[in-house]
Amino acid sequence: MSEQVSTHGWQAQDEPHDLHSELLEINMGPQHPATHGVLRLLVHTDGEIVHEVTPVIGYLHRCAEKIAEGCDYRQWMVYTDRFDYLAPMNMNFGYAVAVENMLGVAVPERAEHIRVICAELQRIASHLIALGTFGLDMGAWTPLLYCFREREEILNIFERLSGGRMLYNYFDIGGLRFDAYDGFAEDVLDIINIMEQKIGEYNTLLSYNKIFVERTADVGIIDADDCYAYGCTGPVLRGAGVPFDCRKDDPYSIYDRFEFEIPYGEGEKGTIGDCWDRYMVRVREMYESCRIVRQALDAMPDGPIMAEDLKKLVKPPVGSLYTRTESSKGEIGFHIFSDGGARPFRNKVRSPSFSNLHVLEKVGPGLMISDLVATVGSLDIVLGEIDR
Amino acid sequence: MEATAIHELLKRRFGDDVLDFVDGHGQGARVAAARVAEIAQVLRDEDELDFESLMCLTGLDWDGYDESGKGKSVGILGYDELGKPETSDRVGEGELGVAYALYSHRHGHKFCLYARVPRQAPEVPSVSRVWPTAAWHEREAFDLVGVRFTGHPDLRRILLDDDWAGHPLRKDYQMPGVWQEVPLAGRSYAESKWGEDDVVLPDPGGDSGGGA
Repeated sequence: MSEQVSTHGWQAQDEPHDLHSELLEINMGPQHPATHGVLRLLVHTDGEIVHEVTPVIGYLHRCAEKIAEGCDYRQWMVYTDRFDYLAPMNMNFGYAVAVENMLGVAVPERAEHIRVICAELQRIASHLIALGTFGLDMGAWTPLLYCFREREEILNIFERLSGGRMLYNYFDIGGLRFDAYDGFAEDVLDIINIMEQKIGEYNTLLSYNKIFVERTADVGIIDADDCYAYGCTGPVLRGAGVPFDCRKDDPYSIYDRFEFEIPYGEGEKGTIGDCWDRYMVRVREMYESCRIVRQALDAMPDGPIMAEDLKKLVKPPVGSLYTRTESSKGEIGFHIFSDGGARPFRNKVRSPSFSNLHVLEKVGPGLMISDLVATVGSLDIVLGEIDR
Repeated sequence: MEATAIHELLKRRFGDDVLDFVDGHGQGARVAAARVAEIAQVLRDEDELDFESLMCLTGLDWDGYDESGKGKSVGILGYDELGKPETSDRVGEGELGVAYALYSHRHGHKFCLYARVPRQAPEVPSVSRVWPTAAWHEREAFDLVGVRFTGHPDLRRILLDDDWAGHPLRKDYQMPGVWQEVPLAGRSYAESKWGEDDVVLPDPGGDSGGGA
């Protein structure tokens, strides 16, 4: 037993001693506040040190991919909302782009601009949840309340746009379901002005807080090679120092027209790819999202919001296409196989959190249990899109 | 590197085990399923290819696929209007398939691999040693489609329960009516035994209520 334990991370690196307790198998979840949903982590611990961690998923499985084969392309949009229920606009966007790419449809300019504004506001709202709950995992209550305050304003805009506060079903194949309301631009500008100031407030409250930095810097390090191997994307990959973002490197919609930076981890407080880096990438991305929204608002033209030459029942040509877009969690991809009919023959969803969680099997061993909580929090997973 | 050039390169290396080039949307190559793992290794390790990232791995069932492109493929079985599972005597035929979508961060190029395996012996070599992320994707393809990945370190169901029967994404899959004695469909709430005992349905007519 002791031989087995000493081969793993923490003890081998730090201090050699032969105080081992018997391996204890504990279940973290499926009902546990630090697992961010119905996730179960099967943890084998040696005292306080994690020896092995196995994520057990599927508690929220609804087989949306099977449902996709039974309904037409437009009907299925509503299911994409339910994947990442903290960023449904990004999910809508990914699916709409995937089907439009297969159809070869050009989306009207106004719709593209409103789409980008919604997607970026949603990214801010989703990162606010990530920040707030990560603070909560680290024992900081207050930032959560501040984050929800700003998120509320964004949800109000979405409610006026689409009628829903959480699940919008706002995008449609070829455009949008409704045009923006009068005063949309002013509302968005208001919230952007507020956000740009508030991000500084979060930095004071949480990001550079000494206790928070102690808990997150040098903890749960995921390097770039692990990210490639395990398919990690989004803030996890960028936190590892790789400035990769689908909006920049594999542009879709009208993102190639906007100027924005890709924040990435530089090991400012510890090592590149630690929890703090992943956290800070999200904070900096909120700034960049504000920049994109400003540019999109300035350039937003009047005009139609739906592609005109598109039938109600869309039928993509025979073939398969994998299309990816950048959601707030990472790369959301849809691999659609069409037989030329009104329903997809197969519609596979590649969700970012699925791969981002998988890497926990690699980085988990050797961590303290409290650091495991920090690592899970910094991955910012949503179980709706892992289980689909 | 262009997708056609990658196909040529693979063709030179693997000969007849690399089949035709797939043009159109998802450019890639059809390959013999038995050599997927070796081909994957070359795709990752070759300097000019350098596909270090497996974006997506899809398992699918080609049963009843309409080759003509008119969209007349066999539909899936669901539940009927009364909520009873639809049944069919049709036995599934045709092949199962696996599709791999690859991307190279260094070169910025994409490529797809498509492999097909017979339904009776759906065995594909696992690529989880080449791309560790495939381990979970392959478990999902095994769980939902029933493709068996040989050499996989831990091939278990991932999304469904361990004792679930069948693979739901097969086209001939029939929805269960009952699972572990729990009725999944077929009886509405009011029809069930509980409903009769506990739920008092409102009286639809009559003048018992009254009151202005």
